[in-house]
Amino acid sequence: MKRRETSLFWRLVLRVALVLCGGATLLSAAAWYYARAAADDAYDRLLLGAAIQITANMTVDAGNLGVTLPSSAFELLGLAERDRIFYRVVGPDGRTLTGYDDLDIGINVTAARAGPVFLTTEYRNVPVRVAVVSRALSDPSFSGWAYVVMAQTTEARRGLAGELTTRAMILVGIMSLLALAGTVLAIRYSLLPVDALAATLRARDPQDLTPVEADMPRELKPFVGSINHFMGRLDERVTLLQRFIADAAHQIRTPLTALSAQVDMLEDDDLDVNRKRHLGRVRDRVSQLARLTNQLLSHAMVIHRSDSVRFKPVDLGDIARKAFRSTVPITVDPDVVVSFEDSAEPVFVRGDAVSLREAIANIIDNALQHGVEQRLAVRVRREDDRALVEVADDGPGIPPAEWAAVTTRFVSSKMGEGSMGLGFAIAAEVALAHRGTVRFLEKGGRDFTVILDVPLYREGT
Amino acid sequence: MWRQLRPIALVAVLGFASPAGAVEGTRAFFPALEAERGRLVINGATDIEAMEPLIRDFQETARDVAIDYTDYVTNDLYRDADIACRLKQPFGDLLLSSSVDQLVKLANDGCALAHVSPETRDVPAWANWRDEVFGFTFEPSVMVYHKDFVPPEDVPHTHGELTDLLRFKPDYYRGRIGTYDLRQSGIGYLLAFLDAQQASTTYGRLLESLSRAEAVLRCCNNAVLSELDSGNVYIGYNILGSYAYAAARRNGKLRIVLPRDYTLILSRGALVPTGAKRPELAGRFLDYLLSERGQDVAREKAFFFSRSGALPAEVDGPEKLVESGIGRPIRIGPALLAAQDRLQRSRFIDDWTKLIVDTPVRLRPN
Amino acid sequence: MRIFLVEDTRDVGEAISRRLEKVGHTVDWQTDGQAAADILEFTDYDLVILDVMLPGLDGFEILRHLRARKKTTPVLVLTARSEIEDRVGALDLGADDYLVKPFDFRELEARTRVLLRRRQGDPTNLIECGDLVLDRNSRSVRVGNREVQLKRREITLLEVLAARPGRVFSKDELLDRLFGFDENVNPNAVELYVGRLRKKIEGSSVRIVTIRGLGYQLVADEAA
Repeated sequence: MKRRETSLFWRLVLRVALVLCGGATLLSAAAWYYARAAADDAYDRLLLGAAIQITANMTVDAGNLGVTLPSSAFELLGLAERDRIFYRVVGPDGRTLTGYDDLDIGINVTAARAGPVFLTTEYRNVPVRVAVVSRALSDPSFSGWAYVVMAQTTEARRGLAGELTTRAMILVGIMSLLALAGTVLAIRYSLLPVDALAATLRARDPQDLTPVEADMPRELKPFVGSINHFMGRLDERVTLLQRFIADAAHQIRTPLTALSAQVDMLEDDDLDVNRKRHLGRVRDRVSQLARLTNQLLSHAMVIHRSDSVRFKPVDLGDIARKAFRSTVPITVDPDVVVSFEDSAEPVFVRGDAVSLREAIANIIDNALQHGVEQRLAVRVRREDDRALVEVADDGPGIPPAEWAAVTTRFVSSKMGEGSMGLGFAIAAEVALAHRGTVRFLEKGGRDFTVILDVPLYREGT
Repeated sequence: MWRQLRPIALVAVLGFASPAGAVEGTRAFFPALEAERGRLVINGATDIEAMEPLIRDFQETARDVAIDYTDYVTNDLYRDADIACRLKQPFGDLLLSSSVDQLVKLANDGCALAHVSPETRDVPAWANWRDEVFGFTFEPSVMVYHKDFVPPEDVPHTHGELTDLLRFKPDYYRGRIGTYDLRQSGIGYLLAFLDAQQASTTYGRLLESLSRAEAVLRCCNNAVLSELDSGNVYIGYNILGSYAYAAARRNGKLRIVLPRDYTLILSRGALVPTGAKRPELAGRFLDYLLSERGQDVAREKAFFFSRSGALPAEVDGPEKLVESGIGRPIRIGPALLAAQDRLQRSRFIDDWTKLIVDTPVRLRPN
Repeated sequence: MRIFLVEDTRDVGEAISRRLEKVGHTVDWQTDGQAAADILEFTDYDLVILDVMLPGLDGFEILRHLRARKKTTPVLVLTARSEIEDRVGALDLGADDYLVKPFDFRELEARTRVLLRRRQGDPTNLIECGDLVLDRNSRSVRVGNREVQLKRREITLLEVLAARPGRVFSKDELLDRLFGFDENVNPNAVELYVGRLRKKIEGSSVRIVTIRGLGYQLVADEAA
């Protein structure tokens, strides 16, 4: 199972969204609470007003308590269009004067003497809000407390509370969405440096070990610092290694030449067949050793130059000729036709003459060692905006499957005897440094070709 | 005379001539036009005559519905409905009454079922309480007079003018003015209660005048109208416009006046009780009543006035009844509970009785 | 020929001396740079083989001195290809050729031969025939932009044939010209060299025609 990648962006967005959700929920709950209180408050006043109107219309007439129910009280309550109204007027003797006799729901009438009492309860299976208002009657023939119990169902209240809450929630929702949108934008913007850094790193040459220079926020500096530190150490290591190799190769040179000299002086006339063969082998191995040493040195030099030497416009034809001269030995088999073909006009590239020469020399050397049977041709030409140095031989060539591997170091296409060594790898690295490639043309009818392909020099590039 | 014979004739015609309707006392049965698949029981305090065209037209639209209609007096209707509600027993599928205050009380007591439909949504807010009580007519409370007996200069156009008329021509109009007996008529009570609310001074003075004029008291609209027909009574007060217009159509001598100081407008109420056995049928009938088709039939054949339409021909009244502010629609809402308070009601009727019934008796020269 | 060898590694010096002496040259071998410089002041040689890494005076210094005194003695430099050496470039300083250590001793011998022959002063360096240009300095024959490397004897053969185009040379004549009088040569060697030369001048407007029984001639095709 593949582990899902976490994204900084989504982590942030998610958490902010959660916080906003939480906040929105809390606000909505608060809104609901306050809406209910507000609705209750509003409608309670209506209830109270109606009750008070009724108490105001209480009269004592010949020792009898009477009450005229004003339509206005009911009209007032009728402002809650859908709610049902229940009421009861109670005299001081506890008798119900008029209204719903059974509207007697645990009301503490005594408490109502101090002021209006509100309570929420149930009557006839519906929730109702009740207000109890009392009035002290003081008539010579009649004194005591009369009560008006006014109840109303709560549909209008709930409706108002609901409407207020809904509106509030919509506002909260819009605000939350805006906040979220704003946060997403802010996060995206804030994470731009990360993207920029990623792009910078991606755009780098894999070979490039120079420090990363970019504007970046403080938080990313440790990462880049680490990278740079690591690259610095790597660079140091590589340099040290190369220097060591160069030094070693250099050191080997003298004893190797001496060994070669001794081998050269060995007379093989007196030797028997077996010893002659062994001597032959020794000569071959010494030769191989010499070649490898030279390649190591060549490589070390090339690598070193790619860091320090500035590129200039150079004549590729001239360089190729020099490489050709120094690499093709005079002692080459006379039956082999060795040719060098320059291009009609001069071919200029932006680069380093020494590395290019090394590269071409290595390619030619490789052809001589492994390829050539009757023919070796070196051609310099230009095609569109590319400069090409082609080395063609009529040998067996390298099968296409191995082309990629051959340009990496020390891969041998034939195991043991006559391994490729570093040759192509060096050429490939030089080509890369010059923004070009080493490529191969499959042996068609005639020749197997190795091509060094680099961009032409253009004024102003 | 033909007018009084009409109900009997109706019985005869209907009973012998067609199976379409059989009248048993105050009860009428309208069989379904096709195979009966449902029977709707309607208890109404509305004249069967007025409802018949509506019922028949409804059955055109619902050919498999039979209708069982019983005509009540408003107070009886309320009483029976209230008891049935308390005992949780059925009492019809649909209640119709001109005493909307009684219907509102029933609904407030939890005895009504809510009904919502596209038709109910078009009902104006003052004619719909809780989707439980609907006003389905538009009937002004009018004054009716016999033109042969009331000279043009006497014709009252306001409540005040009526009062003055009775005071200034006491002998001529003694015993010649008719109105409801509040003890018997629920709608009569409601109209009087609202009169007292609208203009209490005017009401007091009118009451006094009525008392002095020894007003003729009857239980119901049609009773007053028949007195007018026969010429016993010259002026009818607080008659529902629908009945008045029907009577005026029959008797060209009767004329209708809408009082110009204010005109109470009743919207007759419909309610589906909680005990209804066929509430869905009740809903269909209710929708029909509220629909354009039903309203058209109502205007042409039953109630003659409508909230959108103009006054019918030969009715003396303001051009734009409601917009002018003269028409005062009775709002179907909890404010009517004040009218239904038992103490309030009994006190009001007591006061009225003392004034209208007792005093004239007392004052009548022996 | 007199050859001056400046080389401090004994094995190498010994091997070079032996080889060259075997061919018949005289080799003066010096291991110290300063001493070598002093000797060169006063003595002329046909060829100097110079190792760059020397105790005492640096090989390049010796070379500079030599050229400063306008001496045209051919110099073959044995270079170790260190950074400094490469930057400068042996040839730029006046060396005629260079070999990188470790090298093939036969290659050394071959290059020595070439340098010595050059000394003998062949005035003509470029010979043209048809669209063919024979360049002695680069030991190659050129058609247009394409140069083909030739061996010593191939060059000689082409020179002989090209000196008189159209003329038929017999085998014996060519044998004499190529190999001289002293050597024991297989008569078929001429055929061999003609064959090689033919291959190498392929693609030019010049051909070698075999006339059976008579010999060979060089023919230049007219441009079409």
